[in-house]
Amino acid sequence: MGDDRERERERVLLAVLRVWPSSSLTPARTRAPLLSQSPMVNESRPSPSRVSFAAVTPNNLGTVRKLNSVLFPIKYSEKFYNDIVQPEVEDFCQLIYYNDIPVGTMCCRIEVQDGQAKLYLMTLAVLAPYRSRGIGSQSLKHLIDTAAAHAKPKINAIYLHVQVSNGDAKRFYERHGFKEVGLYENYYKKITPHDAWILQRDIEAVSGSEGK
Amino acid sequence: MPPAGIPPSRALPPKESSLFKEVLHYYEDRQLKKGLKAADTILKKFPNHGETLCMKGLILTHMGRRDEGLELVKQGIRFDLTSHICWHVFGLIQKGQKKYDEALKSYTQALKFDKDNMNILRDAAHLQTQLRQYDALVETRHTLLRLRPQLRQNWIALAVAYTLAGNLTEAKHVLEQFERIVKNVPDYDVEMSEILLYHLRILEDLGEYAEGLALLDSSAKERTIIDRVSIMEFRARLLSKLGSAEAQQAWQGLIEQNPDCYDYYKGFLSNRGIDLDAITDETRGQALQLLNDFAQQFPRAGAPRRIALTVAVGDEFKALVEPYLHSRLGKGIPSVFTDLKALYRDTAKREAIESIVHAFLDTLTHPPDAPCPPSIDPTTYVWTLYFLAQHHSHLGRHQRALELLDTALAHTPTLPELYMFRGRVLKRAGDPYGAARWVDQARLLDLQDRFLNARCGKYRLRAGLIDEAVEVFGLFTKKDAPSPAQDLEDMQSLLYLTEEADAQLRLGNLAMALKKYVAIQKIFDDFEDDQFDFHGYSVRKFTINIYLNTLKWEDTLRSHPAYVHAAINASRILVRLHDDPSLATKPASQSHLSEAEKKAKKKAKKAEKKVQEDGKKGIANSTNEDKGLDAGPAKDDDPDGTKLLQSPEPLERAAKLLKPLTSLVKDNFEAWIAVYDVAVRRKKYLQALQALNNAHRLDADSPELHIRVVDFKRRWSTLSDKPSETVASVVSSTLPKLIPEEISLELFNSQYLQKHSSRGGAVLGAAKVSRDLGAPREEVEAAVFTALNADVELNLETAMAIDAFLSEIQSSRQEEFRSVAREKFPLATVFASREELQALRRSAVQKDLVDTNESKEEILS
Repeated sequence: MGDDRERERERVLLAVLRVWPSSSLTPARTRAPLLSQSPMVNESRPSPSRVSFAAVTPNNLGTVRKLNSVLFPIKYSEKFYNDIVQPEVEDFCQLIYYNDIPVGTMCCRIEVQDGQAKLYLMTLAVLAPYRSRGIGSQSLKHLIDTAAAHAKPKINAIYLHVQVSNGDAKRFYERHGFKEVGLYENYYKKITPHDAWILQRDIEAVSGSEGK
Repeated sequence: MPPAGIPPSRALPPKESSLFKEVLHYYEDRQLKKGLKAADTILKKFPNHGETLCMKGLILTHMGRRDEGLELVKQGIRFDLTSHICWHVFGLIQKGQKKYDEALKSYTQALKFDKDNMNILRDAAHLQTQLRQYDALVETRHTLLRLRPQLRQNWIALAVAYTLAGNLTEAKHVLEQFERIVKNVPDYDVEMSEILLYHLRILEDLGEYAEGLALLDSSAKERTIIDRVSIMEFRARLLSKLGSAEAQQAWQGLIEQNPDCYDYYKGFLSNRGIDLDAITDETRGQALQLLNDFAQQFPRAGAPRRIALTVAVGDEFKALVEPYLHSRLGKGIPSVFTDLKALYRDTAKREAIESIVHAFLDTLTHPPDAPCPPSIDPTTYVWTLYFLAQHHSHLGRHQRALELLDTALAHTPTLPELYMFRGRVLKRAGDPYGAARWVDQARLLDLQDRFLNARCGKYRLRAGLIDEAVEVFGLFTKKDAPSPAQDLEDMQSLLYLTEEADAQLRLGNLAMALKKYVAIQKIFDDFEDDQFDFHGYSVRKFTINIYLNTLKWEDTLRSHPAYVHAAINASRILVRLHDDPSLATKPASQSHLSEAEKKAKKKAKKAEKKVQEDGKKGIANSTNEDKGLDAGPAKDDDPDGTKLLQSPEPLERAAKLLKPLTSLVKDNFEAWIAVYDVAVRRKKYLQALQALNNAHRLDADSPELHIRVVDFKRRWSTLSDKPSETVASVVSSTLPKLIPEEISLELFNSQYLQKHSSRGGAVLGAAKVSRDLGAPREEVEAAVFTALNADVELNLETAMAIDAFLSEIQSSRQEEFRSVAREKFPLATVFASREELQALRRSAVQKDLVDTNESKEEILS
């Protein structure tokens, strides 16, 4: 009887070490983005501060809501929040982290017209104390690079609306190659001024192998 | 065939005799069905054959028919009391039921009739280890070695037995003997390496350092010990103990290997005559110099810098802690405060830290609505605010902490730590509902963060929101478990069980609270049972060193805070049941229970049904499946704990729970108070007095002790049947040390109050005593209310205890007290009115993350 039982006991020993069942709660802490986007540190700045990105998911949507409520004078609908967690737009709906703290968001949707896909940049904003540190520029550059490397569908352009009172924002986009292509009158219904510029930048696709 | 001396009732004719051998065979091959059939064939002709009956019982037990099996085994033994097989089988089954002492008795019987049976001897050795019968274990291991000296493990097992019995010299001799005869050890043999390390450990414990060093050096050279870190550690320790000049080099080498190990620095410094646990003014400078050298040598190591903070004082401390804080706050390390909290025992250090961090904050401050100046890192600012909030809350300045957190949240509203800590501050300030809401807010920022989810569940329990808490805890549990609560219990979650039990106790649901506390006790029983398998495994695999550590740990298992807490609280419930047995039958009438209760009952019923169905399924396919001898989890036939609450002899149960505490946590005041409460009611006066003496040693002025001293004297002086003379003489010689003989209890009480009139807790204690002494209610109330005087130090906990006491004596002034308490503790919600509490409970689970949006009109789709 002996050896048999001893062997059996070895198996039992493994059971003794109780294990938590795997659940839907995957890695313990995913707050800091796991995406290994190259830390795009501005070389002129000596600080080791890091800007990084992580896709918006149903789990961190609370952070996006919180940011939007602080950053924008307008309220976003449930449809907006539902759309930005869809897998197709994963690359274009991102939380922006500075030193592992979420400080901004950028969210796009893909619009296809006549077989041409365009990105519409719905939101891009960074918390006030974190502005003027190049975080927005790095984010926009990240977005443009991602769009250029995107294959299905191929992205031809990025466009967005800027309230006509917001000259700073317009200049910011123009520095990144956006051009004013039109004026949308009465774009905003309840905040003034009602009109918005339409800014657009064409995207030249890079093939996957060259793409960085 | 049957050898001489076999009793006629056991002897079987040749055909049945070979059939019986087949039964044994089938059993060993786990062909249960065939074994059963063969046994039945024998029993048809010889229904009273004991050994066959036992084997059939054993097989049935394996097939899951436990009760039936046990009955047959018992019957079998009665028919054949001198068969080793019968007793062995009985022992096996008792072992499966975890009745180790009974099993050992059966094995001892079995050995009487077959004294050299290896299997029985081995099992008996495991049982003896489990039961800590080490002298008997040495005997058994000796016998096994004599029977099979060629087996390596028998030698080691004997050495281990000697070690456990405390006879290290014999253990050493056994190992030396073994090492002389062992042959053909392959290179890099892990097992041999472990044995040599075990040998070294014995030599070190015996104080034979030179011998140890010689063994270490030769084994290291021949590469028979392959664990290089252990070699270095043993070397450093042995050289130090021998006072060798090489010791310093050895410790240095270890530090270079791992510059973040505190023990290595401790060893290095102690070798230089510096005891880190008892720094003197002479050694301080030298220690700091050495630590500073290490800090320079290892710029990335935290240990030398952190140890220096403990050692340094005065200006030197300030000079060291400033860069320490700046670098960590700059890196955004969330745990800096936790790291430094231990230094706060020293007021000067605490104040130094406070002024340094506040000065640092002044250089960082900037408005939240504009870009932060480029010279400042905005995250450093946030982490510094976070640190200071923790600092002030730790010192009880909750309002200040909240202001700092609000500043941080206005600046960076996305850092979960800020929300979580805001919840914690509110919890400390007496607002469990606000606390739960804020922690929930943190959770909503990142739903897949396990820590935040667990925290949220815990805070909901603190707020008494049991269903809502289980909902969050359900995120962690298996989806097919009967209920999240059951699964968490199976997973041995002490955090959950402790918090739910406490929550039920606060809600007045004694039955559920007791049930959960008992569940904690069972977990510790399981921990104790779990070691059983290692008595065989570790010796066979030669993992001796860690095994010996495990046994030592198991012996102090119940000093774990979760056990201590559960045992004390459960004993309090049981004492209340003893004092008022009607509590056990009273329906839990509180209104807030209704909803939760109904749901719990429903769930429990469902779970029960499921278990029963599973059981049926089990029987249906029980053909050949081996269910093992360990009794499976019993089904929960007491989902709401009422049966447990109504079980007889509450005091005996309480005494059993508390017993481990009297030897394992001798310095726990509350434990002794609990021991007293149980002992005095069991009329164990000496034990009660001993508990009072121990409590007196730990906190002579405690109101809880004061209450018990008076209680003891009252009970003792009104005793109708005097206990034995020895008891009486001990009491009469010891009691006067706690309470003077000549003065009345009333006077004793008022003297106590006079002496401690500025302490809220003492005021309450004295009031309780005068209630016990029969003072009129108005007088007791008036006494309690003096706790609200301006010159009395009253903390939140005591205020809550006073509130509970007023409720207990059905005081008409409770509302009055609560309204004053509300003013005294403006952040606290625990004194709110009943209607307000309802609203607070609702608000605690409201998801108002997007509230700030309500004012915005423009909606974008």
